[in-house]
Amino acid sequence: MTMETTTPRPWITRRIEAWSARRNPAGAQAELNRRNILILPTAHGILFILATLVVFIAAINYGNSLAFGLAFFMVSLFIICMFHGFNNLHGLRLKALPTRPVFRGEDAAFQVLLSRHARRSHEGIELFFRGFTVSKASLVDHEEEQVSVFIRSTKRGEFKAPSLTVRGQFPSGLFTAWSIVRLEMRCLVYPEPVPVALHHVLNSGGGITEESPLVREGSEDFHGFRSFNPGDSLKQVAWKNVARGQGMLVKQFVDYLDQRLWLDWDMFYGFPDEDRLSRLCYCVLKLSSANTTYGLKLPGLEIAPETGKGHRLQVLQALARYRVPSAREADAGAGEQQP
Amino acid sequence: MDIAYQIPRQSLIWVLLSVVMALAPHGPRLPVWIGVVVAACLAWRVLIFYGKLDYPGKALRVVLVVFIILSSATQIRSLDIGLDVAASLLALGFIFKLVEMQSKRDIYVVLCLCFVMALVSLLYSQSMVTAMYLTLMVIVIMGSMVSLNRTAGSGRRTTSLGLAVRITAQSLPLMIVLFLVFPRIDPLWAVPTQSSATTGVSEEMSPGDISRLAQSADLAFRVGFNSGPPPLHENLYWRGLVLDYFDGITWRRQGSSVLSTAVANAPVQLDYRERTSVSGSALDYNVIMEPTQQRWLYGLHLATPLTAGIVQGRNFELINRSVINQRLSYNLRSFRNNQTDLLLLDSIRRRSLRLPEGGNPRSRELAMDLRSDVETDRDYAYAVLALFQQQFRYTLSPPLLGEQRVDDFLFNTRAGFCEHYASAFTYMMRAGGVPARVVVGYQGGEYNRFEDYLMVYQYNAHAWTEVWLAGEGWVRFDPTAIVSPERISQGVEAALRNDPNFMNESRFSLARFRGSGVLNTLRLRLDAMEYAWNRRIVSYGEERQLEIFERWFGQAARSGMLLMLGVSTLLAATLIGFAIIRKVPGKKMAESDRLYRECCQYLARRGYPRENGEGPMNYFHRITALHPELTPLLAEVTQNYILLSYQATPDAVEKSHLQALKRAVKELRSRVSAVPVRNSVPLPG
Repeated sequence: MTMETTTPRPWITRRIEAWSARRNPAGAQAELNRRNILILPTAHGILFILATLVVFIAAINYGNSLAFGLAFFMVSLFIICMFHGFNNLHGLRLKALPTRPVFRGEDAAFQVLLSRHARRSHEGIELFFRGFTVSKASLVDHEEEQVSVFIRSTKRGEFKAPSLTVRGQFPSGLFTAWSIVRLEMRCLVYPEPVPVALHHVLNSGGGITEESPLVREGSEDFHGFRSFNPGDSLKQVAWKNVARGQGMLVKQFVDYLDQRLWLDWDMFYGFPDEDRLSRLCYCVLKLSSANTTYGLKLPGLEIAPETGKGHRLQVLQALARYRVPSAREADAGAGEQQP
Repeated sequence: MDIAYQIPRQSLIWVLLSVVMALAPHGPRLPVWIGVVVAACLAWRVLIFYGKLDYPGKALRVVLVVFIILSSATQIRSLDIGLDVAASLLALGFIFKLVEMQSKRDIYVVLCLCFVMALVSLLYSQSMVTAMYLTLMVIVIMGSMVSLNRTAGSGRRTTSLGLAVRITAQSLPLMIVLFLVFPRIDPLWAVPTQSSATTGVSEEMSPGDISRLAQSADLAFRVGFNSGPPPLHENLYWRGLVLDYFDGITWRRQGSSVLSTAVANAPVQLDYRERTSVSGSALDYNVIMEPTQQRWLYGLHLATPLTAGIVQGRNFELINRSVINQRLSYNLRSFRNNQTDLLLLDSIRRRSLRLPEGGNPRSRELAMDLRSDVETDRDYAYAVLALFQQQFRYTLSPPLLGEQRVDDFLFNTRAGFCEHYASAFTYMMRAGGVPARVVVGYQGGEYNRFEDYLMVYQYNAHAWTEVWLAGEGWVRFDPTAIVSPERISQGVEAALRNDPNFMNESRFSLARFRGSGVLNTLRLRLDAMEYAWNRRIVSYGEERQLEIFERWFGQAARSGMLLMLGVSTLLAATLIGFAIIRKVPGKKMAESDRLYRECCQYLARRGYPRENGEGPMNYFHRITALHPELTPLLAEVTQNYILLSYQATPDAVEKSHLQALKRAVKELRSRVSAVPVRNSVPLPG
């Protein structure tokens, strides 16, 4: 069930969310307690109330003492079940864990670490973003459990998770206790890859240009130093310079190139920005899986041709972050959570 | 989503158990064919579970619904929808729902219906055993709910049963509070009355009726005397109905319908005081009666009802507002000496003399002879009683009587049970011109020492005669006492000890084992428990409630009750809530943290609070810059604190650090008072 909610939320839901937001400060972790757990009867609970009413009215009409007792028993059970339902969430701790990037349109799997206090247990916990798949967890024997909570990514860039609903009906099913938690979780969303005919694009000019450097970073000839980038091999670090306190420098070797692939913003001239990025993204995936050396040119940004996983990551991140609408707008778009 | 829902195996077992438990108490009452349907449906459900059968299709479901409607239509034909019919229909609908149960909601419907079935069984029986059984059932229903909400495969700390027991146990205190303080409400509308067979003494008495009752060891009622010991056994005549119309075979009530009697009573009530006179000490007692499906009650002679809803009939019978279809508790007051109808109304006199035209010529002749021999009506009565001293037998299995019943009994068979004697005696009285009538009820009762009350069984059923004597009113004469004196003084058990028919309907009843010491004690104990249960719990109602609250709140009992309801319910709920929702254990602050915070508080009081996020070292430097005299002491505190907080040290070393920290903080406390208090806001940095 990955349908998005399009129907306008009723007034009461909005009020509950506002209430919950006041009581649940956003943060990297959260603990459920009496300040932020809400509890209401389920449809089953209302059925139970109806049955209680039937028993009660029969007790009145028949003047039957024990039937009164039964009706009161049911009322008490109902109240006790409420306490237990609340207790099941009480003390549950949630912590945001790093999330793997996804391509736009894929489900982002936010990682939440659930943990419990030593003498408590939490059964049948459901976590979900409103309108998306429900993930289930139980903390009984084990101290903590990592849960993936999914939400469809709709916008490229930094995807800030909307508020997360934690819900449980254990033990009676007559009550549902829930809390709306605002965990600070982010997920990087790459552009959605859109297939293009690769050879066509690369040969159509712009792929190889006259101005491209004649060398590329390689392993054959010493070329000079450059500063250390994350992902660089430690073998290439100029340790002597480090020892002299000149900072982390990397010995640069170059290969001389016959052909250097440049993925250029202008290759898809005429497309809207997002479509260009999508196509570039596709090319990146294709080239990196073929282990080719390639570079990226975006207006105001250039990544020298390279190969390897680190490079691929760097390029994809650049594509993801390129001219992202401001963070606020990105949040608004993501999952349509804010009113 | 529900289509894909699979009822977990464990839950299905729980739910099936709940259903079986809900239906079991109704088993004996339901028609056999419903039992067959129930068994078939249960089997079907199990087969669905094993994949051998499918859920009922749409067509079948329609057929079932039509079937229920048709069967209810045939049952309601007679316009009185008794409880039995309602229970059968409910059971049918319930069991069909079980078969087609697929979604989680369906299960909850079934479980809620289990509660309704529990209610129905309470309408039939409010005994302690029923209550315990239903408590067990509630546990099983809760178990079903718990197991439904478990996630498969997750480890479990408590079993579903354990949790269900816990929830049920935790509910009990709140239930008791509600039961005690919740105001009882008067019935909102009339409920369908029971149409099932009546029990106990009936509205008519033909020969053989009472002896049939003597075969039953079922309980009729229990009586507790509130003031003093119970009267002697021979005075325990529990008056039920007055039968004043005789057709030659059967004695019955004039204008037989109970309803019309109640209406006819209305004018009589006006001169009630003129018709009765009482003297001697009052006797208050409480009767808890088993359901009879009839409307009259039993009490000693001329009993005044103290409980609302009971009226006195024309002949001082006690009549309840409605049919007694569940255990009924009522209070009565009788006086040791009483007289009724010193002046006999003409209508009653006519009724009490009427005999069928013709028949029984020998008896009539004998009556005339005897009456002419004696002066007074009383002497005449004694003369007739004297007849019974000759060759009459008291037996449960008398020979059959011929056409002329009274003649045949008095002159030929001369063997019978109390109804024969009462009938013949009354006939003779009337034939002699003395107003007389038959009274049916119970005589005697077994004393239970454990709770101090009398148990009256069906076999105590009895019939006797009331004769009207001028200047005395209605006087009780019991011809059976002449035939079998021990029947009246010691009880029917003693009189019929050797009669094979006595109690033979209740072959397995504990009442048959009164000879055996241990079993008899057990029987009395069990009955005493049941009695206590009835007196204290089942008959706890508005009356008792008001009594208690009047004692606490005086006149303002009503409002006091509501206040009490609110306060005690909230209190109980809160207490239980606290018991269930344990506080989340916060991180226990380490001893060193506590000491260091104490130290910071001393300094803060002098105007040097530790800033948010200020490390201990920074704080130390800031303070000592301003107050160098504190340097050695504060250094000691800070150093020890840092060592304790950030360095793993062996226990012994840690202990010495802690000691040092403690000492330093203590000393700082006295020294810091010398620091002048700074009022201004601390300087930044």
